Amino acid sequence: MAREARTFRAEGIVLRRRNVGEADSIFVVFGPELGKFEGVARGIRKSRSRMRGHLEPLTFSRFLLARGRTLDVFTQAETIRSFPRIGGDLERWAAASYYAQLVDRFTGEDAPHPELFELLFVALEALNDGSDPGSVSRYVEIHMLALAGFELQVDACAACSARLSPEETLLAPGAGGLVCRQCRPGAGVGRLVSVPAIKVLRYAARASLPQFTGLHIPGEVAEELQQALAGVIRYHLDRELPTARLARELSPGSNDPATPGADTL
Amino acid sequence: MATGGTPEAIARLVEQFNRLPGIGPKSAQRLAYHILRVGDEEAEALANAVLEVKRRIRLCSVCCYITEQDPCGYCTDDRRDQSLVCVVEQALDISAIERSGGYNGVYHVLHGVLNPMDGVGPEDLRFRELLARVQGGSVSEVIMATNPSLEGEATAMYAAKLLGPLGVRVTRLARGLPSGADLEYADDVTLLRALEGRQAV
Repeated sequence: MAREARTFRAEGIVLRRRNVGEADSIFVVFGPELGKFEGVARGIRKSRSRMRGHLEPLTFSRFLLARGRTLDVFTQAETIRSFPRIGGDLERWAAASYYAQLVDRFTGEDAPHPELFELLFVALEALNDGSDPGSVSRYVEIHMLALAGFELQVDACAACSARLSPEETLLAPGAGGLVCRQCRPGAGVGRLVSVPAIKVLRYAARASLPQFTGLHIPGEVAEELQQALAGVIRYHLDRELPTARLARELSPGSNDPATPGADTL
Repeated sequence: MATGGTPEAIARLVEQFNRLPGIGPKSAQRLAYHILRVGDEEAEALANAVLEVKRRIRLCSVCCYITEQDPCGYCTDDRRDQSLVCVVEQALDISAIERSGGYNGVYHVLHGVLNPMDGVGPEDLRFRELLARVQGGSVSEVIMATNPSLEGEATAMYAAKLLGPLGVRVTRLARGLPSGADLEYADDVTLLRALEGRQAV
């Protein structure tokens, strides 16, 4: 009779934390092998806790967990890779929180998804290395959609597979991507995207993240892509993620983000 | 009408306890049956304490601390340096700083930290009051005493971004190793900060 081990090892990036009880927290972690899992860390909010720094959100750590009746318990934690520059920059932090929330929303528990882990990891690395948060975000959105099963069809019409003519084209999330003029009436909600934006979408689908962030995207195209992709994600998740809103508000292009409720002051 | 044999009044009390943070259904039941057993006086004292706190306590219009009088004791104390404002996440943090005995300025309570994962954005915190206070001109330094967590750091950076243009000095509590800690268990970020903030012995 095989007896289940009392403890097990795991690795992963901490997605979020929820405080419970006096000094405990529940952590949701996304790992390359286990997928999304959660566990409780006892006494982690006390300043003497040895695990505290290793279980900060957006840290890639190695853990030892003990099987619990309802929740597994973190007993050891050690950082594999931290991303100090993300924590030191408001815009990068907001972007990284957005990716963590996207992963959280697009995945179920205990479903391993190594490619998605890889995407999150390289995205955090890129943010930490100083890449433009806007470009990293667009890349993450496009590939996150694909890995979650909502890949955008951008090379041909998503409805009839016809070739697309080089013109402003409807991006319709319900149809699964760009749709040609003929298919437009039945394609549902969407947004017209310009030719340069379509080119960027196609490039992003093929390129690696470092290649993509090396591409210079003009301001108005970047803005257009941000809105178009936000629309697609809103369509699939049924709402705008709070982190997406904050990331948008804190990006340099937006109007003075630093004044909460400025209109009422 | 009673459901499943449990009198409705008990069920209602269990449900109310169950809403409290950290109280699960079992604990809620235990508390409710405890209330049933105690004397009328004790139960009444509890009920009155709950009502009283809601009736008498409000937020200070200056610093958003919980108080019975507006402005609160800290904001009206002229022995305190009113130009030095220490910004904390929650009212409880003030007791911790007061306990240290090393601070003689005033406070500002944000009532949370930026936490977009849980839907807490800048507009949900008391930044507007802080901004108004600094715009008033009597503040020379704002000390960000939010927790040294990712969210706490982000909140401090947000405050710096918000208040920086007004010319006020915005500082952050130092970060490093807690007293009595083991170096070998320290995480990279903490060690890095501790090295950056080293001081002559």
